[in-house]
Amino acid sequence: MTVASQVKKTIATLKGNQGTLRLYALQTRDEETKLVYNEALKTTGRIINDLEGRMQILEYSEPQYKGN
Amino acid sequence: MQTWIQILISSVSLFFLLFISIRLMGKRNIVRMTPFRFVSYIIIAVITALMSLNLIANLAFGLIALGVWVLFPIALDYLSLKSKWIHDIVNGKETVLIKHGKIMEENLLQTRLTAEELLRELRTKNAFSLADVEFAVMEDTGDINVFMKSHKNPVSSYNLGIKVAPLAEPQTVILDGNMLDESLFSLGFNREWLNIQLETMGVSIDNVFIGQVDSSGDLYLDLFDDSVQLPQPKVKEMLYANFESSQANLMSFALETNNKEAKKMYSEHAEALGQLMEKLKPYLLR
Repeated sequence: MTVASQVKKTIATLKGNQGTLRLYALQTRDEETKLVYNEALKTTGRIINDLEGRMQILEYSEPQYKGN
Repeated sequence: MQTWIQILISSVSLFFLLFISIRLMGKRNIVRMTPFRFVSYIIIAVITALMSLNLIANLAFGLIALGVWVLFPIALDYLSLKSKWIHDIVNGKETVLIKHGKIMEENLLQTRLTAEELLRELRTKNAFSLADVEFAVMEDTGDINVFMKSHKNPVSSYNLGIKVAPLAEPQTVILDGNMLDESLFSLGFNREWLNIQLETMGVSIDNVFIGQVDSSGDLYLDLFDDSVQLPQPKVKEMLYANFESSQANLMSFALETNNKEAKKMYSEHAEALGQLMEKLKPYLLR
């Protein structure tokens, strides 16, 4: 596996985590828990953003693996 | 009128009368009752039994006696709610039996409790050794409650300094294959949500004996058909594991890349994710 596809996989995992977190943030009845989940969502969003930026650079430098 | 009809009518009417009056007298547990209350219940029962069998010739006399024994306890209850002084006279006060680990012999005598009885009561509270007891008190109902020495108390997460997620009580949403709308709505869910959950678990509602939703919104089911293996909610553990693997990935990216800027970005995020996991741990794993 190339680095680009590994990064892509990590992004996908993190996005999946975001989905689950969002679900729990909506489901929970406790305000404090909701706050923690929302904070986690924000942090995860930031990481995904940066990883996607890195992804673009990687795809640019190894265009033969684009889309893998 | 024939006697048996008389007895039937009076018994049936007394049945309902007694039912209502006992209800009016409150919901207190019959086991944890003050001796006086116990006696008044017995007197009510005896009067009703005598009236029901027509052993009291004049029905009015019976009703008067019954009224007194029903209404006076109710009146006393109201008064003791209003005044602490009356409450203490009616119900008695609690008696301290053990203080600072030492038995108060005078108080023991006052409650007519022998040493053996005290030890037996302590044993029922799991205090087999007198040395473990810091404080014991006999309540006005005659129950003995024990406060153990602090080093003999069970460990709580507070003692260990571990943060645990706040958990509210679970709500039962399915009973005997029927959805309970009231508890569903109190959770902020509806029937459609429950149907989707059941569908993803691959279970039909007829097969569910009990279904409970915990405060984080996870559904736990008990089925009629015990041979069916259900996936029990493990989503939170999965979520945590996913975060762990993502963090490991970020760390390995940081090691692999030669680009300084990317290295910094990766390791910063790995650290942020680590902090995030630490914060989420009580909510996802405990």
